[in-house]
Amino acid sequence: MLSRARITKLLAIGAMGIVALAGLAFRAQGQQRNDSKPSVAAKTIPAKAAESATDPNTSEVAKTLKAAAEAVGLARWSGVGGQKLPEVDVVNTMELWASGTTYGLGQPSKPGEPLTALNTEVHVALGYNPPAMRLEMTCTNPGAPAQGGAAPIHTIQVVRENYAWDESEIGAGLVPGKGTATPTMAAVNNRLLRLWILPYGVIKAALAAGDKTKLSTENGATVLTFPLSKPFADVMVKATLDAQNMVARVETRTDNPKLGGMLTETEYSDYADHGEIATDIKSPGHIVHKQNGHPVLDIHVKMWDANNPYLVFPVPENVKKAAAQ
Amino acid sequence: MTHQFRFRRGIVTAALLCLFPATVFAQNNGGPRMDHENTLPPTPTGPTPRTADGHPDLTGLWNGLADNLLGVPNQMHNVGIEVGTDTTRDIHSGIQVATWPLQNRARQNNEQNERAATLLRRMGSNRPIYKPQYWQRVKDFDANSNEEDPSNNCMPAGVPRMGVPSYIAQTPTYLIFIYPGQGGLIATATSYRMIPTDGRKHTNLEDLDGTWNGEAIGHWEGDTMVVDTIGFNSTSWFDQLGGYFHSENMHVIERLHRDGNTLTWTATIEDPDVLLEPWTTTPRVALLNPDPKAILLESLPCSERDFAHVVTKEHH
Repeated sequence: MLSRARITKLLAIGAMGIVALAGLAFRAQGQQRNDSKPSVAAKTIPAKAAESATDPNTSEVAKTLKAAAEAVGLARWSGVGGQKLPEVDVVNTMELWASGTTYGLGQPSKPGEPLTALNTEVHVALGYNPPAMRLEMTCTNPGAPAQGGAAPIHTIQVVRENYAWDESEIGAGLVPGKGTATPTMAAVNNRLLRLWILPYGVIKAALAAGDKTKLSTENGATVLTFPLSKPFADVMVKATLDAQNMVARVETRTDNPKLGGMLTETEYSDYADHGEIATDIKSPGHIVHKQNGHPVLDIHVKMWDANNPYLVFPVPENVKKAAAQ
Repeated sequence: MTHQFRFRRGIVTAALLCLFPATVFAQNNGGPRMDHENTLPPTPTGPTPRTADGHPDLTGLWNGLADNLLGVPNQMHNVGIEVGTDTTRDIHSGIQVATWPLQNRARQNNEQNERAATLLRRMGSNRPIYKPQYWQRVKDFDANSNEEDPSNNCMPAGVPRMGVPSYIAQTPTYLIFIYPGQGGLIATATSYRMIPTDGRKHTNLEDLDGTWNGEAIGHWEGDTMVVDTIGFNSTSWFDQLGGYFHSENMHVIERLHRDGNTLTWTATIEDPDVLLEPWTTTPRVALLNPDPKAILLESLPCSERDFAHVVTKEHH
């Protein structure tokens, strides 16, 4: 039977996988502030990249990014009321619910046995302006009852710009008597990275990378390669598009010891408008995440609200104080 | 064609029809057409007239952009996002948003147009921070706003949701604000406010019966008119988007500043019962109607929705 500590560790690993959901974001530069004010670099890079995407003589990279942005429903225009406005990136906040399996990494619980699979419920709230994510996971060991029983492990991990904390309940630590918020500042980068490996984050980050984004073809598929911006400057992203220009696979590589020097792979499939309110934004219905070649997460989306829902990520005072120390 | 499909098309058509009054309104009053190629705020021109007592004269028909009817963002103006021809900016955060300039592009159907417009209206970063116990309620109201939004039942939009008044008349001791109602899918009744500026004090909150517009009192802070309002009911929402409910203890401070032919309006909402901190709207800039003969036309009547036939939660 898995110990609670081991399950907690697996949860953390799985959360990293949930990455899948997360997105990269060109606004990583703005993470040093808590007032959602961006850095100068963040203000200028994406627009430039987008501009070049529409120039008749534009690069194939820009054309590919525009096609990917339109395919997923991120780049949108509206002629409502006779407007003649340009296409813009309309993705800010999203919320999704999914269920599936988190797999243990490394050694199985007993020699010769397969890696332990935990039933996993996932609830993610995220935003790109400011970059933030609240990841709520509940993991249950289906074999636990026969082995003496084990309570589900429930975690809520939050990050906003340069703050990270765990919540005992959603919104904990903001008002007296409503849960506790535990600062986890060392987890900022890991958690933010989750935001930028989602399909939308990949596109935003590739736009932000500007001339550093490279285009190639592998086995007939279009591949975009680019570095993330600070604080992930040493993280390289490789995104493979499918025939519909959807982000189908994302790899990140880093030698940064803070990120475990790991290789992550995330596969996205079954794209559709998974929201209760139709938005024409396509989101993946199946997400598989691997770390260093091992599957750590395999989830199916139940609902994905892309209608820029009301999601906020205020930073508790004790977290701000911890960050200032 | 299925019934559901017919109803959906009907709803979308109705949504589009709700836009027509604004367009007609603008054209009838000599305002600019609605086929804007950007949503940048207008650049002030001309002098700022002053009254005999030296204050800026706010008198005028402030519907030059034809989109400030009861604060309803029928179009893309004043939704917190400045869309230029090749750049886009979130006004609150200053973040630049990826933009692809207008080019030849495939036609979109009405649903596609409406959904894109809805996303654009809702993408701004400036959102009130509710206490966490109310986050889910806001989301539920928002998701179900076709049924939950009081304005969809012909109720007044209220303060500050009405936004920038379409007409202001200014005297030495009071202001008159007029907010024309409109028909269509977003249906609200015509509303007015008479705001004393004679130095009087608020009635004790306990002695006020809560209303949609509350008890407003104005005063000048330099060249800015500050309208302080208390005494609300708890029925209205305080912004057009988001299901932003409030308590009877809401306190609203509006600021109006005239610069030439533009009027900048903001509202700060204090409601310690439900909000974690005060919230200030992103500034909205209204344009003086350039036609000196322009008048406010009669509003279309409000008509309630037949919610039994609404089969989608799509909304503005």
